[in-house]
Amino acid sequence: MFAFRAAPQADLELWLGIAAFIFVLAVWQLVAGLGLVHPQFLPSPLAVVSAWLALVENAGYLTDVGISIARVWVAFLAAALLAVPLGVLMSGYRAVGAFSEPLIDFIRYLPVPALVPLTLIWLGIGEGSKMALLWIGTFFQLVLLVADDARRVPKEFIETGRTLGAGDLALMKDVLLRAMLPNMVDSLRITLGWCWTYLLVAEIVASSSGIGYELWTARRYGKTPEVFAGILTIGVIGLVSDQAIRLLHRRAFRYLV
Amino acid sequence: MTRTGAFIEFRSLAKIFSDHRGRRTPVVEPLSLTVAEGEFVVFVGPSGCGKTTVMRLVGGLETPTSGEVLIKGRKVEGPSREKGMVFQSYSSFPWLTVFGNVRFGLKYRRDLPPAEKDRIARRYLDLVGLTAFADFYISRISGGMRQRVAIARTLAADPLVLLMDEPFGALDALTRERLQLQLLQLRNAEGKTVIFVTHDVDEAVFLADRIIVFSARPARVLRDVRVSEVLPRDRTMEVMETAPFRKLRREVLALIRDEETRTEAGTTEANF
Repeated sequence: MFAFRAAPQADLELWLGIAAFIFVLAVWQLVAGLGLVHPQFLPSPLAVVSAWLALVENAGYLTDVGISIARVWVAFLAAALLAVPLGVLMSGYRAVGAFSEPLIDFIRYLPVPALVPLTLIWLGIGEGSKMALLWIGTFFQLVLLVADDARRVPKEFIETGRTLGAGDLALMKDVLLRAMLPNMVDSLRITLGWCWTYLLVAEIVASSSGIGYELWTARRYGKTPEVFAGILTIGVIGLVSDQAIRLLHRRAFRYLV
Repeated sequence: MTRTGAFIEFRSLAKIFSDHRGRRTPVVEPLSLTVAEGEFVVFVGPSGCGKTTVMRLVGGLETPTSGEVLIKGRKVEGPSREKGMVFQSYSSFPWLTVFGNVRFGLKYRRDLPPAEKDRIARRYLDLVGLTAFADFYISRISGGMRQRVAIARTLAADPLVLLMDEPFGALDALTRERLQLQLLQLRNAEGKTVIFVTHDVDEAVFLADRIIVFSARPARVLRDVRVSEVLPRDRTMEVMETAPFRKLRREVLALIRDEETRTEAGTTEANF
């Protein structure tokens, strides 16, 4: 387990992962408990937990969490729904790739915060501008990742499909998509994480609800425990969704091992 | 359908590759050749000589620069189910079971009802001796078994010609021998026309009715060796110990060696 590239040991690895959290929490509690740092800068873990509970009880925090999760998933699914077919077509047809790839690459390099003023001018501060921001941030990254996943499918798979009589559409559906699926799910998982980043940008800049808004409001009133509570909430949601997708990946693609 | 007498006919087939700088490399010289129905033809030649390209041209996986290939009098235009292909690696789909892979060979045959497809797939699975592994995923079986899956799948699709690109190249010697024997038995049972590319001369002589020895790039036919005139059609491994086998093997090997030394003096960049 501790040797270089040793054999995996699932339960021990899980405990090591948990130990890392406990370690950070312990150090944090120690530093805060000893009064080494003023609570205004570093509240104790317990203060954060009670702030979180208070938020849930008094401010309807779970509604904000729900709103944020819904925003991310709606924008993310909308991005994926378009990025997957376009990415596959970009890899399959040279003309589609040659036409769209440079443009997508250009947009991809625009930092999402730079687009905030534009989305505000065009779409106001409603859900529209937030969705647009998240969609732009996710779609242009995802489509290139999907196209690369498709390109990495061995040529032999495609040629085998062809020599067995598959037409273009059948080839994409029965061979290309199936072959690239495990890598694509990973690409989706990674871009989902990025989508969360853009959500926070959108909610901090122009919103009256969501985790990002609550976080920013707490900062304005100097409520450090609430700020921590917000950060931890985002972290937990990220961790849970990431692990859920990993689990799904292992279950769905058992044939890989 | 115009019968020309030949099952497969190469008519002045030539291929020139162009690289990104527009530099043109002739890979196959105008090549004319006929293959009879049911013949087992093996392509050998120095590495990088273009023998694989010739085979891919038959399969429709490459487009000729000039000339054409006819199969049963019909011009080859793109890949199709009539030209079955077995590659050296990545031949089987990891997301399907062994049975699923063989069944995939029949997926696009609209003329067959599903039950009939199942029956045919099981038959070919049985022919390559993998019935016991029907429900295994590809990652769970050995390299030799994977190639048997690929062969069964290709045969299940019932192609006119079976094209094999160094299918046993990545296998250990014993497995390779077993599969060579099995392939011959399969061929005798099914009567398929086979074009087989290899760089292993023993394999070539053992399998072939006929060996086409190619020159170094650009490929042209150095010699057309009629193995079936010398060796019996039903072969066992023992045939490799006989004098005619050794003589053929020596001849073919000498041809390739000479060709390799001849070109080593000329060009240094032989492969791409």
